[in-house]
Amino acid sequence: MENNQNRYETDYIPYIVRWGRITNLLGVALCFLPALILTFGFGFNPGLTAIVTGSLAQVSGSCIFWFVEPISYFPVLGIPGTYMSFLAGNGSSLRLPCSAAAQDSAGVVQGTEQGTIISTIGIAVSIFVNVALLSLGVILGTSVLSQLPAQVVSALSLILPALFGAMLAQFAVAQPKIGATAIVLALAMTWLSKNGFLAIFPGQPTYVIIIVAVFGTIGVSKLLFDKGMLKA
Amino acid sequence: MDYLKIANGPVMWLVCGLGVGLVLVQSLLFVRRSIIAGRELGITDQQFKHAVKASTISAIGPSLVILGGMISLLVTMGGPIAWMRLSYIGSVQFELMSAEFGAQAMGVSLDGPDMNAVAFTNGVWVMALGSFGWVLFTGLCTHKMDKFRNVLAGGRKAFMPFLSIAAVLGAFAYLASDRIMRFDQGTKSCIAGFAIMALIVIVNRKLQKQWLKEWAMCIAMFGGMLIAVLI
Repeated sequence: MENNQNRYETDYIPYIVRWGRITNLLGVALCFLPALILTFGFGFNPGLTAIVTGSLAQVSGSCIFWFVEPISYFPVLGIPGTYMSFLAGNGSSLRLPCSAAAQDSAGVVQGTEQGTIISTIGIAVSIFVNVALLSLGVILGTSVLSQLPAQVVSALSLILPALFGAMLAQFAVAQPKIGATAIVLALAMTWLSKNGFLAIFPGQPTYVIIIVAVFGTIGVSKLLFDKGMLKA
Repeated sequence: MDYLKIANGPVMWLVCGLGVGLVLVQSLLFVRRSIIAGRELGITDQQFKHAVKASTISAIGPSLVILGGMISLLVTMGGPIAWMRLSYIGSVQFELMSAEFGAQAMGVSLDGPDMNAVAFTNGVWVMALGSFGWVLFTGLCTHKMDKFRNVLAGGRKAFMPFLSIAAVLGAFAYLASDRIMRFDQGTKSCIAGFAIMALIVIVNRKLQKQWLKEWAMCIAMFGGMLIAVLI
């Protein structure tokens, strides 16, 4: 057993890190390929100003997630799962729920070596299911998909909020005190933002909410832990 | 709509296919190695099966959401881009927004009559620039995240499991609050999803039913949706 544990550290993880880096960095390059081909191959050049203007609007909202999502989800996803989840995208809405469900169902503990392996399997399955379904959707094309009744499409949009609530519950029931802290902080910050109290911060103040929600919850948990108020 | 000919043309399929292919290759490499390593660590075939089943069941709901999100992307950005963005790096919450920002910066609207190839290209740029950070950051830093976690935990090993839960709870509390505070059907769906999941987890502590573990996420998602539609 000890020998096998050793191989996990000396063999498995180095392999994952080597290929994870290669594939993800290649992923960065490939992500720009369609835009480069359209601009320089086909000659549809929007110009730097338009690219920057459009991107700033998007990046100001999304860039905080580039860092907060991987850092927050890493303990559940594990090293291989983190490479996979962010290369494949849809981290919050698909990869994390599947990783957590797989580990729960296989009866392994998150953050352990077994947890890391099972998380990898769970995320891979979610990738295969997602790519298969999307490929089917794109082959069927707009002609079939647009025949879906509007009610079905609008009902589908209600799955995501339920998923966020369910994920929150899954972890909050395990640690009610931390769960309550997170919910109070996030609701309060969202309320402040909706009522314009965060307007003093530059740009879209979404990043203020998520930083306070994640790092505030970690901070309060640390205090609770030091006072001996948290049980495993 | 002239630009859609190019957006749906063979060159775009090829270029976008490379990204989707990369995702699949990475998964296959990792799965092969993980099964070998898992067996060495004593993970049973039964456990692997449970994991595959639970993940498949849990993936259905979100995949339908993503499929739903693809419909509007298909119409405006063409098949290849929609297919690639939702299976590679992109996320269903962001992609349509990116395409819109891209078109707006060119002074046209995504579904308007003056939508053209250049505005389409700008949307593709915004999608790439709005999301490459996830892959770059994880590509460069994943192997160092354990150390970063140590710093956050102040070197206290016993605090580590709580830190992990706190971080996930913080992130999902944000995502949920954003939906709850809109005071629409999503509010009901979010609260219902929370209640159903909490109930299942608490009840299953006593029952310890394997099938309930596998179906919990799916039941909570569709249950939440159904309650929001009915009430």
